[in-house]
Amino acid sequence: MKTDELISMLSADTLPRITVQQRLMRALPAAMLVSTLALIGAWGIRPDIAAALGSAAVLKHVLPLGLVALAGAVAVALVHPAMPVMRRMPVLGVFGAILFCVFALALSRQGLSGLTDALVTPSLLVCLLSIPVLATPFLVAALWALSAGAALRPHLAGAAAGLCAGGAGAAIYALYCDQDAILFVLPAYFAAILVVALIGALAGPRALKW
Amino acid sequence: MRAANRGDSRAYRRLLDEIAPVLRTVVRARGAALGAQSCEDVLQDVLLAVHTKRNTWRDDAPLRPWLYAIARHKVIDAFRARGRRVELPIDAFEDVLPAASAPDPTEGRDMEKVLNALDPRSAEIVRAFGLKGESTAETAARLDMSEGAVRVALHRALKSIARLRERMIE
Repeated sequence: MKTDELISMLSADTLPRITVQQRLMRALPAAMLVSTLALIGAWGIRPDIAAALGSAAVLKHVLPLGLVALAGAVAVALVHPAMPVMRRMPVLGVFGAILFCVFALALSRQGLSGLTDALVTPSLLVCLLSIPVLATPFLVAALWALSAGAALRPHLAGAAAGLCAGGAGAAIYALYCDQDAILFVLPAYFAAILVVALIGALAGPRALKW
Repeated sequence: MRAANRGDSRAYRRLLDEIAPVLRTVVRARGAALGAQSCEDVLQDVLLAVHTKRNTWRDDAPLRPWLYAIARHKVIDAFRARGRRVELPIDAFEDVLPAASAPDPTEGRDMEKVLNALDPRSAEIVRAFGLKGESTAETAARLDMSEGAVRVALHRALKSIARLRERMIE
């Protein structure tokens, strides 16, 4: 086939293509429904949820949701060629740095023994397994939506999708998790979200191929 | 491109006509060793990618950086895949083969293979637009379909073509 013929063929197709944002709007609510129902069915909601949402523990939802927004913005920029990503990345970095400072502060106050005390509970393993499981629907949804875009760096875009999904999974898991100590929540949630980001990075090249 | 994304077919055609020679120069500069025909195949891959990914261009951004980013990605991909396949230069068979007329330098081979793999109805529609240069109304009348159905069929066919070519490249 001649290139000229290909051009006539392409220019005749004027139906609009679905955008990444449209797909996100479609897929994320579905993922949210699946994950929330799974949590209610299999994990249950902590009995003191009303009290927890009124205390500082509400940050266990707010901060992961902040991560969802920031990582989501980075992921969307990464699948739009020539869209400046560099303006969105530093915000994510600052977010991480602030959380690390909070962690360091708590650690300096309670010492290493405080950290081991907080982490050595059966909840740690539950947390590390549950967040990735609850994040899976979000990861699938995010990668599906991003595949409507054009990822020039699929590893990175996949990792951003993973961070986003991990944050969403953590925010939902927090409905069940009754450990509110800073020295538990920060390292455990961080590690679990990182696992999801890693899975995203590995799945990226395959899922976002074009 | 802005007009094209709003559905202006003629503006879109003008745009593709303008960018094709530019992209052809880029592709040929990079893949001179592959021969004109393979270069044309790569160019067609790039044009197809521009088409299928045109929604990732935001209409308040300059077009050129976006276009080059798409082209660069696709060119690298295509050459990586074609480098792995062995391409025998046709000169080696010159004595054996009956003399054929010189191939058109803007003719690609891969697209034919893909069209043959498509279901006959879609291939027919695609050919109607490409080879015969028919308008939507003419194709619709000839195939006894509504214009809307022809548009949707073409849209779907181009999507499967993009998918099939990707599989060929792997």
